[in-house]
Amino acid sequence: MEPLIEEAELARTGAPTDAMAAPTGGQNTKVNTRRKSPTQIALARLRKDKVAVVCGSIFLFFVLVAIFAPLLAKLEGQDTTTLHQDLIDQYGFPTIGPTSEHWFGVEPRLGRDLFARFVYGARPSFIVAGSVTVITTIIGVCFGLIAGFIGGWLDRVISWVIDFVLSLPYLLFAIAVPAVLLSFFVGTAEDAAAQDVSTARFYALIIVLSFFGWASLARLIRGEVLSLREREFVAAAKVLGVPTHKILFKELLPNLVAPIVISVSLALPTYIVTEAGLTYLGVGLTEPTPSWGLTIANAQTFYRADPLYLWIPVAAITIVVLSLSLLGDSIRDAFDPRTRR
Amino acid sequence: MLLYILKRVLSAISVVIVTLVASFALFFLAPTDPAGVICGPRCTPDRVADIENSLGLNKPALEQIGSYMKGIVVGREYSAGGTVQHCDAPCLGYSYTLGQPVTKLLAQALPVTISIVIGGAVVYLIVGVLAGTIAAQVRGSSLDKAVVGTTLFVQSIPYFVFALIVALYATFLPETRYTPFLENPLTWASGLLAAWLCIGVTNAAAYTRYSRASMIETLGQDYIRTATSKGISRRRVVYRHGLRAGLTPVVTIFGIDLAFQLTGAIFTESIFGLPGLGQLTLRAFGQYDLPVLLGGVLVGSVVLVLMNLVVDIAYTILDPRVRLG
Repeated sequence: MEPLIEEAELARTGAPTDAMAAPTGGQNTKVNTRRKSPTQIALARLRKDKVAVVCGSIFLFFVLVAIFAPLLAKLEGQDTTTLHQDLIDQYGFPTIGPTSEHWFGVEPRLGRDLFARFVYGARPSFIVAGSVTVITTIIGVCFGLIAGFIGGWLDRVISWVIDFVLSLPYLLFAIAVPAVLLSFFVGTAEDAAAQDVSTARFYALIIVLSFFGWASLARLIRGEVLSLREREFVAAAKVLGVPTHKILFKELLPNLVAPIVISVSLALPTYIVTEAGLTYLGVGLTEPTPSWGLTIANAQTFYRADPLYLWIPVAAITIVVLSLSLLGDSIRDAFDPRTRR
Repeated sequence: MLLYILKRVLSAISVVIVTLVASFALFFLAPTDPAGVICGPRCTPDRVADIENSLGLNKPALEQIGSYMKGIVVGREYSAGGTVQHCDAPCLGYSYTLGQPVTKLLAQALPVTISIVIGGAVVYLIVGVLAGTIAAQVRGSSLDKAVVGTTLFVQSIPYFVFALIVALYATFLPETRYTPFLENPLTWASGLLAAWLCIGVTNAAAYTRYSRASMIETLGQDYIRTATSKGISRRRVVYRHGLRAGLTPVVTIFGIDLAFQLTGAIFTESIFGLPGLGQLTLRAFGQYDLPVLLGGVLVGSVVLVLMNLVVDIAYTILDPRVRLG
């Protein structure tokens, strides 16, 4: 179809004319594409994208905070569990704000140091989100490859399972299943120690999120493989007698880098939010593990008396998720072949 | 066509049945001592035996699932604390901690969730489709860029954080409280306004993007050019000719979204303290009320599967371009 006058106008001013590419905004900066693999081109494009660089740096900063949490807490000279009852007045409110000893002040009622709980609280979010992303990506890619390439009854079974998982109300399950898993891990929950419950909840969370997370990627990969397997290079590999597992992982997988990278970059912030959200609801991690979701849940009753208590984790999680999502969008722009020109 | 619908219905039924059996197995047949868990702490062995007996936990697994399914169809009896409780036809079990049939609890919770979700949907559909259509018309301009940037920003804010901040600080909104619609429609609406706005604003971002992309595509079609060249006013072309075709994909996404929101309004309900399905499940989690958890999960699954089915079938009827494979 001949471009409309409007389209031509847009093309002249350099605005994207593809309807789906346009929503994400960013103009694709021209990068040198000669003698480079698609991934290298995408990375070069990403490096020139200011939003991506800023967001990536912010995310990296928080990851470093999580990694060096013990060091940072030591630098401040506090830990996550000591109760500073001397800094709490008779009504349970802290008598101090941020000081040189307690950088973010102390918790109301218990008087634990907030800075230490903040830096350690970054850890579970990243660990849960990271491991769930890795697990779902591996399972999703493997199932997608097998279903798409081998086909037949295997494809039908896997496709049915994908449809099945995708048609379950996952938030309801995310609440219901840990209750059952918990009794697997620690017996009847009433007599379990707090630390055991917290550890069990941690694994239950990873298991549940992984169980519901792989299906959408598997469906995506299956679709891609269905069209890829008709290509000449796959036929050539088959004729040459390359074993199936080699075709899958050496021939097909490199062609799936873009959808996988895009899916990972969009999944990570989602799981960070889900972890914090479920923990906030009281379904995820529990005391004594420090976690931002937990701090937000505890702090909401003190939002008037002690706004800093609430706003530090709220701001942190918002900034992390915001920068990760924007980074994910930039990554999609950089990797998506539809925006490549 | 008929064959496709039949196939779709069969697969939906298979999903529901597998969900039922798998959840039941997970909750009641796993080595988890359900009777003890249901009974709670400080429970006498007599009472555990009583519950075990009335739930049939000492019977073989198949018989247990069978009687649970039979309970759904014709109802069954439960003995609670010496008295026998009758649980009417769609019986999904009996909550021992609340002393009520699960079906009754769910029937109380569902209208709340539906009210929240429907009201929110009205807000985000109006805001999203309008903003998307306007942005599509001025595509490439600074207004368009501002709209797209805003949607990107709003979509990236964690929902529960957003809802929590609104619940804590937006005190100018009427206090959130659930009143049944039939009792007083006005207090029903004002009591849910804050929740609707929360759902509305966050979801409007996604709908702005969907309808923007879809409208851009539609406005590039030949028939739109024909309509414009016939001298029909711009407004009429966009809102009469364009919107009708442009909204089809948006409506499809809406159908599936709606189902997920019905089962996922947990954050809204919990933050605003509304006694819906999510809140019920959450409370059941806190008290290890397995029958309620199972009932909630099952009802959620059925709602989701049904909505998907309706959307799929409606789509094949509405859009003749969809090939049935």
